Amino acid sequence: MSRADRIVIVVVAALALAVWPLAVAAADGADQVTITGPAGETVVSIAEDAVYEIDGVRGTVTVTVEDGAVCVAESDCPDHTCVRTGAVRAPGSVIACVPNRVIVRVGGDSTDGLDARVR
Amino acid sequence: MASTLAYADGAFTAVGSPSRRVAITSALLATACVIGLVEATIPGLPFAPWLRLGLANAAVVIALAAFGLKAAAPVSLGRVAVVGLATGSLFSPAFVMAMAGAVCALGIMWALKRCVPTTTIVGWSAVGSAAHVAAQFLVAAALLGSSSIIVLAPVSVLVALILGAVVGYLARIVASRLHVR
Repeated sequence: MSRADRIVIVVVAALALAVWPLAVAAADGADQVTITGPAGETVVSIAEDAVYEIDGVRGTVTVTVEDGAVCVAESDCPDHTCVRTGAVRAPGSVIACVPNRVIVRVGGDSTDGLDARVR
Repeated sequence: MASTLAYADGAFTAVGSPSRRVAITSALLATACVIGLVEATIPGLPFAPWLRLGLANAAVVIALAAFGLKAAAPVSLGRVAVVGLATGSLFSPAFVMAMAGAVCALGIMWALKRCVPTTTIVGWSAVGSAAHVAAQFLVAAALLGSSSIIVLAPVSVLVALILGAVVGYLARIVASRLHVR
């Protein structure tokens, strides 16, 4: 690794650290879980144990809230990345099911501190 | 044995021959496809199932080091297309993410090689890997119509830098055997 390599790597790492606070600003409303699906957004409490069935693009996504943590228990998708993400509880944590266009986020529906969205 | 090696050495130093370039580029593309397919079947870690070593990028950086963008582009983009075709994810969201990642990584690695000539294959690989991850997060956010997934991006980019550097070291070992810088 040359000197230039190290400098470039440090610069990229510094950039990632610099945007970190912006990214974590999504952590408002820590006691809520926002479930976004193709049909719209649902905000539920993370304190209440419950099972939610969300209609995704490809089928049903089963979201389970238990003991202050949330997980995707079942999903009709080919890769099951969402299911294997497991349970999350930290504010700002996200479980995404891209094939179903469903995201589960710990936190309210407030702004997430980013100025723009790339489409 | 010694004479065979000497012959192989001689064959490899025929730099600039177009057929040599095509042959090595094709071999790198084939290698990248196989590595990509093998990686696609590995389930990943339980807390981060999307985590990949990205070893296929080694073939891309070797092509970039040896012959520049002309060879690196077919290896990188061809690999994404072939792996997409083989795994049945062609034109799916995952494919769009992979293609966006590959294009961004390729662009930034090429720019780094051109604009900062003192960087090596290790630096290109690390930064390319970070660009790949960053682009995937942006595309995922666009596909999901929500930017909340970006929360995971900074830590993922840092992990990608480390894994990219590891892949870069491996690429350097292979490149040294290929008589490529």
